[in-house]
Amino acid sequence: MLIQLSHIQRLYRSDEVETTALQDIELGIGHGEFVAIMGPSGCGKSTLLNILGTIDRPTAGSYRFGDEELTHLKEAALAKFRRENLGYIFQSFNLIDELMIEENIELALIYRNIPKSERRSRVAHAMDRVGIAHRARHYPSQLSGGQQQRAAIARAIVGQPRLILADEPTGNLDTENGTQVMDILQTLNDEGATIIMVTHSPSHADLAKRRVDMLDGQIVISVRNAI
Amino acid sequence: MIASIFRSVLHQTRRHPLYVGLNIFGLALGIGVFLTLTLLVRYEYSFNSGFADADRLARMDERWSMPGTTPYESADVSFRAVPFLKQDFPEIEEVVTFTKTNLFVQKNGQFTHFAGQTTDPAFFRMFSLGFLHGNPDTALTRPDGLVLSQRTAMTLFGKYDVLGKTVELNRSGQKTIQVVTGILAAPPSPGLLDDVDMLLPVTPQERLTRSCFRFWGSSCGEILLKFRRPEDIASVNARLPDFVNNRAAGPADDDVSLGPAPTKTYTLSLVPILKMHFHDVNVEDTDNSVEQYVIDSIGLIGLLALILGCANAVNLATARAGLRAREVALRKTLGAPRHVLFGQFMGEAMVVSLVAGLCGLAFCEAFTPAIASMTGEAIQVDYGFIGLLLPLVIISSGLASGVYPALVLSGYQPAAILAATRMPAGGRRAALLRNGLVVGQFSIAICIVICTLVIDRQTSFMRNADRGYVRAGLLIGQQMHSQDTGLQRRMLDTLRAIPGVTSVTLSELEPNPHSLTRTTFLHEGSKDRVKVQMLQDRVSSDYRDTYQPHLLAGRWFDNAHGQDDGPSNEEFKSGNSNWNVIINSKAARAFGFEKAVDAVGKILRIDAKHFTVIGVIEDIRFSSPRETIAPEILFFSSLQRIAFDDPVPAVRFSGVARTVMAERLDRAWRTLLPDVASHFAPADELMETYYSGDERRGHLFTLGAVAALLIASLGLYGLAAFAAARRMHEIGIRKTLGATAGQTIVLLLQDFLKPVFVACLLACPLSWLLMRQWLNGFDERIALSPALFLLAISGAALIATCTVLGQTLHLARAEPARALRAE
Repeated sequence: MLIQLSHIQRLYRSDEVETTALQDIELGIGHGEFVAIMGPSGCGKSTLLNILGTIDRPTAGSYRFGDEELTHLKEAALAKFRRENLGYIFQSFNLIDELMIEENIELALIYRNIPKSERRSRVAHAMDRVGIAHRARHYPSQLSGGQQQRAAIARAIVGQPRLILADEPTGNLDTENGTQVMDILQTLNDEGATIIMVTHSPSHADLAKRRVDMLDGQIVISVRNAI
Repeated sequence: MIASIFRSVLHQTRRHPLYVGLNIFGLALGIGVFLTLTLLVRYEYSFNSGFADADRLARMDERWSMPGTTPYESADVSFRAVPFLKQDFPEIEEVVTFTKTNLFVQKNGQFTHFAGQTTDPAFFRMFSLGFLHGNPDTALTRPDGLVLSQRTAMTLFGKYDVLGKTVELNRSGQKTIQVVTGILAAPPSPGLLDDVDMLLPVTPQERLTRSCFRFWGSSCGEILLKFRRPEDIASVNARLPDFVNNRAAGPADDDVSLGPAPTKTYTLSLVPILKMHFHDVNVEDTDNSVEQYVIDSIGLIGLLALILGCANAVNLATARAGLRAREVALRKTLGAPRHVLFGQFMGEAMVVSLVAGLCGLAFCEAFTPAIASMTGEAIQVDYGFIGLLLPLVIISSGLASGVYPALVLSGYQPAAILAATRMPAGGRRAALLRNGLVVGQFSIAICIVICTLVIDRQTSFMRNADRGYVRAGLLIGQQMHSQDTGLQRRMLDTLRAIPGVTSVTLSELEPNPHSLTRTTFLHEGSKDRVKVQMLQDRVSSDYRDTYQPHLLAGRWFDNAHGQDDGPSNEEFKSGNSNWNVIINSKAARAFGFEKAVDAVGKILRIDAKHFTVIGVIEDIRFSSPRETIAPEILFFSSLQRIAFDDPVPAVRFSGVARTVMAERLDRAWRTLLPDVASHFAPADELMETYYSGDERRGHLFTLGAVAALLIASLGLYGLAAFAAARRMHEIGIRKTLGATAGQTIVLLLQDFLKPVFVACLLACPLSWLLMRQWLNGFDERIALSPALFLLAISGAALIATCTVLGQTLHLARAEPARALRAE
C-alpha cells in the first residue's frame, strides 16, 4: 500500500464557528492506482487532496505514505517529502506569471538541488511528453488554457514523483483540451504513476481505475471502475 | 466632487490605515525636513542682505604671495590706504575702518567680556542702522562715544534708555571712560554686526601710534567701503593693482612702503559684503563663514527629502492601485469618464498632500529649534515666508505624487479587470517604476549616509590629529600686553611656583594666534638661492617641556649657547650678527632640504644678519585645519636680554584637575596683572572655532541621512507590503513544489533588497566625487577609505532587511494550502 489514511479529520475554526471539512476518513491507495474523487462542491474533496499533498495538515488521524507517518513531520521535512515524492496539477494551473514555461517546470527540480545540465534535459523531456516544447520560452499569459495545463502536468512529472495529485485538472478547459489532459494522465498511469484526481466530470472519473465519492466530509462510496 | 474626494480619502484611511499612514508620514517628513532646511539655507544666504544699499558695500582684502608660502588672502589689512582711497577713486562714497577689539567691564574684581569694534563716525552713514536711542550722525563723533547693542544695554544697565551714562572699559589693561551715545536696534539681517556688543570711535592717538595706520604690510582690522553704484565695485577692483603701485611703492629699505614693485607680492581686492559669508571661508582673520556648496548641499538634502517623500507616495499609490482596480472598473461600467476619475484621484492626492503639508509644518516647528541649537544660528520659523512656501510645496507634492498614479488608475480597462482573477499590478512598466523609485530613494539615502560618515570621520580626525605638540595637560593663558622683561620673568616664576605645574613657558604664538609676523629669509645653497617667507615665533626656556614639540633633527635651544639668545626687535631690523634658530619641517622642505637633518647647521640670511639652523621640529598646527601650515622660524629668549612682544604664557601640569589648575593660574595671574582678564584654557578650547562649524554642519547631514533613510525605508516597506499581498499565491506554488521556508526567505530577501544593492552601486561613485571635493578643502584630510562605503552599504542593507523582514517571514511561513487560495 502506498497511502493509508486512518480516521482523518479536518476542522476549520474561526472565532464563532467550527466547520468540519473532513470526518473520519479511511482510505488506502496502492501503487499504480488511478483514483478519481468526486462529490458536490464543499464536500471536502480539495481538502482531502491538500492533506494527501501535505500542504494542509489534518486536525486528527494518521497519514502513512509507504512506511512513513507524515502527520508528525515538521514543515521542513514535509517540504522535502513533497519535492521528492509528489507532483501537483491544479484546476487553475498555478504557473508563476513572471517565469517562462521552462522556468516554471524547472522550479520543481531547483528545490531538489539537481545540477543545471540534468535539469535542462529533464525539463526538455517533460515538455516533449506533453507537447509544449515549442512554447518553452513563452510566459504563461501567452499560452492557451490547455497549453498551460499541459505545462503544469510537465512540471508535475518532471521530478518523477511517486504520486501525482490532480485537483480538477480539466475544470478550466474545453472538451478537446480536457480530453487531451485526461489522455496524458492515463498514459502516465499506464506507465506506472499513481494518480489521485479530484473531478466533477463523471466521464473523466470513469477513466480512472477507482472512484471515491464524498459527501459532507465523508467517503460514502469507493468502487473500482470496470475498464 | 470635493465631498466625494474627502469621503474617499476617509474611506481609504479606514480601510487601509497602514498605507495611508505610511504615505502621509513619509510625505510629511519630507516636507518637514524641506521646510526646515530651506529656512536654514535662506538664513545663510541672507547674511548682510538687510543693510540698505547692501549691493554698494564691500570690504577691501589683502592678497599676499610671498616666496616659499602658499598665497593667502586676509581681511585684516593695513589702514595706510584709507586716506588715498576716496582721493584716487571718486566712485567711493564712504570709507571706514572696522577693527575687532576685546573689551572688558570690571566689576567687583570680575571681568565681563564684550565684543567690540572700533570704527569711524561715517560708519552709520555707510550702514543705515536703526537706533533705539541716540543719533546715528553724531554717535561716534565724540572720542569717548559708545554705541551699545540692545543686549549689552540690558546686561549693563537693565534698560535701553541709557544715553549719557558712562561705562569704564578695560582694553588689555588700559582703562577708559566712555559715554553711551547710542543704542542700536536689532541688526536687519545676520552678518557684519553679529555678536557685536559695542561700537566705539578710533581715537586720534590710535591713528598716530598704531603701526597699521602708518605702514603698508602691517594689519589690524577691516576696511569697509560704500560705492556710488553697485557696478563701481568691479570697476575699482580692476584698478587696485595700479593703486598699490602708486601708493605702496617706495625704496627697498623703507619701513612705510612695500618696496619698488609691491604688486609682485601684494595686491588689494574688494569683496562685496553680500558675498562675504561664503567668500570668507578661504580668507584669514575672518570668522562666521561657511562654504557655499555646503549650504547648497544642505538645501539639496532638503529638496531630496521632499522628492523622497513624493516618490514614496507615488510608489505606494501605484503599488496599491490594484486594490482599487475593481472600483475603477465598476465606476467606468456605470459611465464615469476617464477625466472625472483622474480628477477624483488627483483630488485625493491633493488632500493627502494637504494633510501631509500641515503635519510637515508641525515637523518644521519641532525641528527648527533643534537645528538652531545644533548650528548655533538664530533660525526661527518665519510664518510669512512659510505661508508663501507651504501652499506651493503642497500643490507641487500633490501634483508630483498624484499624476502618475491617477493616470494609471483612471486608465484601467473595465472588461479586463472584471474578468481577471488577480489584481492588476500595472504591468512591467509600473513594476520598473516602483523599483526605480526605491533605487532612487536608497541611492540618495546611501549617498547622504556616506557623506555623513566621511564628514564625521574628517571632523574627528581633525580633532584628534597630531598637531605637533601635546595638548593633554596643557593650559594656555591670555596675551600679556607687556614688553617688560621683569614682569615677564615674574609671571614665569609665579606660575612655576603653583603646585601641580611641571613647566611654564612664554611664546608669541599660541593656538589660534592673536597676531602673526612674517619675514622673508634667504638660503644660498650650492645650486640656487631660495627665499622663503616664514612665520616668526619667539619662545622662552621650557617651551620644549611645556608644548612638547617633536624635534626631528638637531638640538633644542639652551642657555649655555650664547647665540641661542635671539635678536631684539631693533637688532633684527638693523643688526649684523649671528643667531641660532629652529625651523619647522615645512620650512626645511621649502628651502629644499630633503631630510630634516640636512637643514641643521645651514645659514639663513636677511641682508647682513645670519641665522644658523640648530634644529628642525615637526610642523605645529596653531591655525585652522583648512589652512596650509606655514613655514615657521623659532627664536629663543632667555629673558636675560630681550623681552617678548605681548607674550602668551603656557603651563604644563599634572596631578591636578584641569579646572582646579585653571583657577589657580587665573588667581596667580591677577596678582601680577589685576587689570587684565585672565582665562587659562586648553588648546582645544582656543581652537574650537576652527572645528565647531564643520561638526555642526556634520550634524545637519546626520539629520538629513536619518530622514532620507527613514523615508526610503517607508517606501521599501510599502513595496514589500504590496509584494507580500501579491506574491502570496506564488509562494504557495513554490512551497507546494517543495520550497522550504529558508529558501523562500532567501528568495524574497534577494528580490526585496535587489533595488537597495543597485542603489549602492549608484550612490558610491556619486558620494565619492562629492566627498573628494569637500576633503580637498582641508590641508590635512582622511583618505576616502572603502571601509566607510562598506559601512554605509551594510547599514543600509541591514535597515532594508529589518524593514522587509516582517513581511518576508509572514510570507515564508504561510501554509501552502492557504497561500494557494490567496488572490
